Amino acid sequence: MKPFLGPLENGRIPALQQTRVSAFLMSAHGALAGQLGVALPASLHHGWQVEMHSQYCREMEILSLLGRATSWIPDPAIGLMIWQWQLAWVPRQISGVADRMQGTLIDIAAFGHALHAVIRPAALLPEGYPDADPFALAMRRIEFESGRLMQAQILFLKGPQLVPVRDAVASAVERRHAQIRELWQNMLHSIEVDMSGRHHLVPAYQAPAQPTAAIATQPSVAIREP
Amino acid sequence: MPWLDCNSRRVHYELAGPPSGPAYVLVNGLTQYVRLWHPFRDALVAKGFQVASFDMLGQGQSDKPSLFIHQDDQVKVLGSLIEKLGNRPIFIAGISFGGVVALRYAIDHGDRIAGLVPMSSFAEIPAQLFMFGAALRTGLVLGGTSFLQDLLFPMNFSGEWLEKMQHLIELARHRGWLANDVYALQNLMESFLEFEPLTEQLPAIRVPTMILTGEYDFLTPRPLQESLRVHIPDSALVIIQRAYHAFTLEKPALTAYLVTRFAEDVMSGRWRGNGTIWVAPEDVGGELTRFPEGFDHMRAIPVRIEADELAPLQTAAAP
Repeated sequence: MKPFLGPLENGRIPALQQTRVSAFLMSAHGALAGQLGVALPASLHHGWQVEMHSQYCREMEILSLLGRATSWIPDPAIGLMIWQWQLAWVPRQISGVADRMQGTLIDIAAFGHALHAVIRPAALLPEGYPDADPFALAMRRIEFESGRLMQAQILFLKGPQLVPVRDAVASAVERRHAQIRELWQNMLHSIEVDMSGRHHLVPAYQAPAQPTAAIATQPSVAIREP
Repeated sequence: MPWLDCNSRRVHYELAGPPSGPAYVLVNGLTQYVRLWHPFRDALVAKGFQVASFDMLGQGQSDKPSLFIHQDDQVKVLGSLIEKLGNRPIFIAGISFGGVVALRYAIDHGDRIAGLVPMSSFAEIPAQLFMFGAALRTGLVLGGTSFLQDLLFPMNFSGEWLEKMQHLIELARHRGWLANDVYALQNLMESFLEFEPLTEQLPAIRVPTMILTGEYDFLTPRPLQESLRVHIPDSALVIIQRAYHAFTLEKPALTAYLVTRFAEDVMSGRWRGNGTIWVAPEDVGGELTRFPEGFDHMRAIPVRIEADELAPLQTAAAP
C-alpha cells in the first residue's frame, strides 16, 4: 500500500486508479446533487434555499468536470462497488428526531458534510505531480470547493434551530463520517492506496539548527534571586 | 502505535526516552502534529527525560470529531496521558493553543505536575487576538489549509529563517496540508474562539511556571504573557531573543535547553520564579540575564519606568 496514487504510467496516474476514484466521487456527488434537486423548491422563499441552489449547481459542475477530466477505462469490478455505494447514500431517518422531515434533512446535510469533509481527493496526488494534468486539477478543484461547500452544512447542522436535538445531529454526522470514510478507504485499498501513510511523512523543515548533543553538555543556570 | 481512549475516541500519542525519572508532556499548537516535536523531543530525551506528545482531538492521527470539539475534552486527554506516566516529576510544555490546554490542566490538577511551561500562550482572547483568530478562520474557510498556512508562516517565523528554509517551504506547506483536515481545524479554531477567559483562575496555579515568549511575537504579543506572569504566583517570564511565535520549530535546540534547565532547577530546588523577567541567551548554554531594571519590558524601545509604575513590578518580583 502507498499513501498516494501511482506508480505513474507514462508520467500519469494509471487509468484504472482514475476510473475508481472518479466513479466513487461521481456516485457520491451525484447522489447529493439528486437529493438537493428533490429538496429544492421551484421557487425560493428562504435565504438558506439560495445556498442550497448554489450547492446543487456546484455538485453538477463536479459531475461534469469528473466526466471530462478522467481517463476512463472499462473496469469489471466496479459494478458491485457502485451498487454498494448507491445503497449507502440513500437518506435515512435518524433516531432522536421526532419530525420525520427534519430528520431526513439532517441526514442529507450530514451526508453532505461527510462527503465534503472526509473525502480529500487532492491528497491522493503524488508529491510533485504536474499541476497542468486535467485529472489532478479536477481533484484539487473538488477538494478546494469542498471546504467552502461544507460551510452551508455546518451552518445548518450547528444552527440554533437544531440545538434541541444536538446530540442526535452529532450522532448522525458521526455515522455518515464513519460510513463515507470506510467506503472511501475500501475503494482506495482496491487500488493499493492507504492514506494513513501520509501521517508518517517527515515534516520538511525538520532539521535541527544545532546538534542535540551540544545540549547535553551545557551547564544548568538557575532562575533564582541573587 | 500507542493510542489513548478518551470518551470512546482514539488519541494518538508517542513516548520517547527512559520510562522512569522526570518526564515532559508536550502539547501541540493549532496546526501541529506530534512529528513536528521530534527535534525538540530528541533534545529533551538526550538530557534524560521521557517525553510524551500527542495529537489533540482533531489533529494528526487522533480522531477528528465531526462537528463539535470541546476544550474540556482536550484537557481530559492531557490528564489521561499524564496518568499513564505514573508518579514521578512531570512537566508540561504547551505552545500557543496547546499552552491554553496546559494552563487549564494546571489550574485544576496542579498537584499532579512539577512544573509548567506555557509558550507563546494566553489566558484570555482580547480584541486583537480574537480578530486574528477570526481572520485566520475565514482564511481557512475561503482558501483552505494552504491559505491558512500562507498566513501562518510569516506570523510564526522570522524573515531570516524563512529565507534560509525557502527551498523547503513548499514541501513544508504540502506536508502540513496533508496532515490537517479543514473541518477538523475549523472545529478546533471555533472551540477556541468561544473560550472563557482563564485569567481569574491563574492564581490557582501553584507550581513553578516558566513563561516563554518570542521577542517579536505579534500573534500572541507580550501583554498576553504579562498577564500570565502577573497572575501565576511562582512564575518567571523569559523573552527569547529575535523569536516569533513558533520558536519551538525555529529554535528547537535553544528552547529545549531552556525547558530542560527549568526542570532541572525545579527538581534541584533552585527555582525561584517570583514574577521575574529574563532575557534568554541567543545560543544554547548561554546565560539568562535579568531584564534591565528600570526599563519597561512591555515596550519595544527602552522606555524608563516612572517611579510610581515601578512599585507594582518590584512587588511582583519580591521573594
